Amino acid sequence: MQPMKSLHLLLQRLADARFEFVVVGGYASVLHGSAYVTDDLDICAVLTPQNVEILRTALADLKPCHRMTHQKLSFLEHPPVGHAVNNLYLETEGGVLDILSNVLGVGDYQRLRQSAIEVPLFGRKCLVISLADLIAAKEAMGREKDLLTAKELRAIAAKRGKSTP
Amino acid sequence: MNPVEKIAALEAAQRAGIDLDLLDSNLALSYEERALRHESALELVLALREAGAAYEKSTSAAPEAR
Repeated sequence: MQPMKSLHLLLQRLADARFEFVVVGGYASVLHGSAYVTDDLDICAVLTPQNVEILRTALADLKPCHRMTHQKLSFLEHPPVGHAVNNLYLETEGGVLDILSNVLGVGDYQRLRQSAIEVPLFGRKCLVISLADLIAAKEAMGREKDLLTAKELRAIAAKRGKSTP
Repeated sequence: MNPVEKIAALEAAQRAGIDLDLLDSNLALSYEERALRHESALELVLALREAGAAYEKSTSAAPEAR
């Protein structure tokens, strides 16, 4: 039996560790009102060596590994201490966690943070990419599923009277 | 978004098969309620995937009847 996947458990871990991030991707769409289901958590952050260590501590007991590597290398050992990375694609017992330093069509963590919204979730506060930036990101990705999500997000913006790109 | 753009966005979503009533229902929820509703849906998706994989395994392991 697979361990219970819980994306909000992952979010809580990151928030409790005081790791600075902005929620992006499908889970951000869900928080904005999308009806689609996603099985991973995508966040944007600055992956300095210090931040990588914060992440390791926060996720240690969830057996994080690099899901894109053939041998599923442990995130607890790779990259070596002191190394910065651009992106991390992790599989954990709480679910899949992708950490990106840049979001296509929008920019890096600092840029996203400028227009992100602060969302109260399970006793914590999380920054979530703005609806306008999320639409821009989905349209920049250009895959069929992203374009469909962008249409849904534009409908949400219309219903909420939000400005869009 | 001006009124014309709003109507265009809603019509485009409808044409793409997006359930606008479901969006209304989601928008009436708090952020936390949306996360919890999603968690339930994800649990169901993962359970169905697991059941599908188990079924595939059982049918591929069984010798084909002739």
